[in-house]
Amino acid sequence: MLPLVLVVILGVLELGALRVAAARARSAADLATVVAIGDQDLLALSATGRFRPSQDAAAVAREYLVLNLLPVEHTLGAGAAAIAGAADVAVFADAGQTDPLTGRRYEQPAVRISADVPIKTPAFAALLLGAVTTIRVDAASEAR
Amino acid sequence: MRTDDSGLATLETILSVVVLVPVLFSVIAFGGAFQRWIAQDAAVVQAARFAAEVGGDSAEVRALLADALTGSGIDPSRVDVSIEPSRVGWREPITVRAVSQARIDIPFILHIDLPLSSSAVARGEVNR
Repeated sequence: MLPLVLVVILGVLELGALRVAAARARSAADLATVVAIGDQDLLALSATGRFRPSQDAAAVAREYLVLNLLPVEHTLGAGAAAIAGAADVAVFADAGQTDPLTGRRYEQPAVRISADVPIKTPAFAALLLGAVTTIRVDAASEAR
Repeated sequence: MRTDDSGLATLETILSVVVLVPVLFSVIAFGGAFQRWIAQDAAVVQAARFAAEVGGDSAEVRALLADALTGSGIDPSRVDVSIEPSRVGWREPITVRAVSQARIDIPFILHIDLPLSSSAVARGEVNR
């Protein structure tokens, strides 16, 4: 009875911790896309009156993904820089484009991040499951 | 020979209480702490975005964070908040951190304050 109870407790706690880690990774990606789409090409904006992401929007998205993942890096199965480096970052410079990955149509210029985030799950490893659980994080922000 | 197992039910009940009560309290206590952590994270992200918009630490940013924390059932007076740097320029990073303690009380096993730390980095939007 007791071993089963311990297994249940471990599993529940690990699932809860995994949920928190996943939420934090999603909010990191969200914030990175918000910052990146806020990085507008000011010359184009003043000349045309239309939003247009700056040339370095993808780099900014990666940079802020790293900065926001760093505080939780100890819970990740890879470095924050490696995760951000491997992330699929797409910049949709024109309004009305459709994201080929998600199928979503953006009414305004947008930045999208799709990243695989490996999260350490030591309790799952103790239960002979995976020591690392990878979750897919998708985040997108449109200019307005 | 006469066997008497009347004490067995009592023993099983005692074992069940000693084991199951902590399990029940663990699920409730840690579930509450995890929920609080996620809510605190969301509040900190919101505050970081606002701090970037207004150019740094201000009473408005702290009030927004306090409102968001209160709305999530967290007492803002028991949360340590830091906003660095206090004044941020165009395209400079600004970090908002919040640390609170979640009380975990599990009968027979554990009585601790679990530190819940949240942080978010946004980018300054004020061109000074």
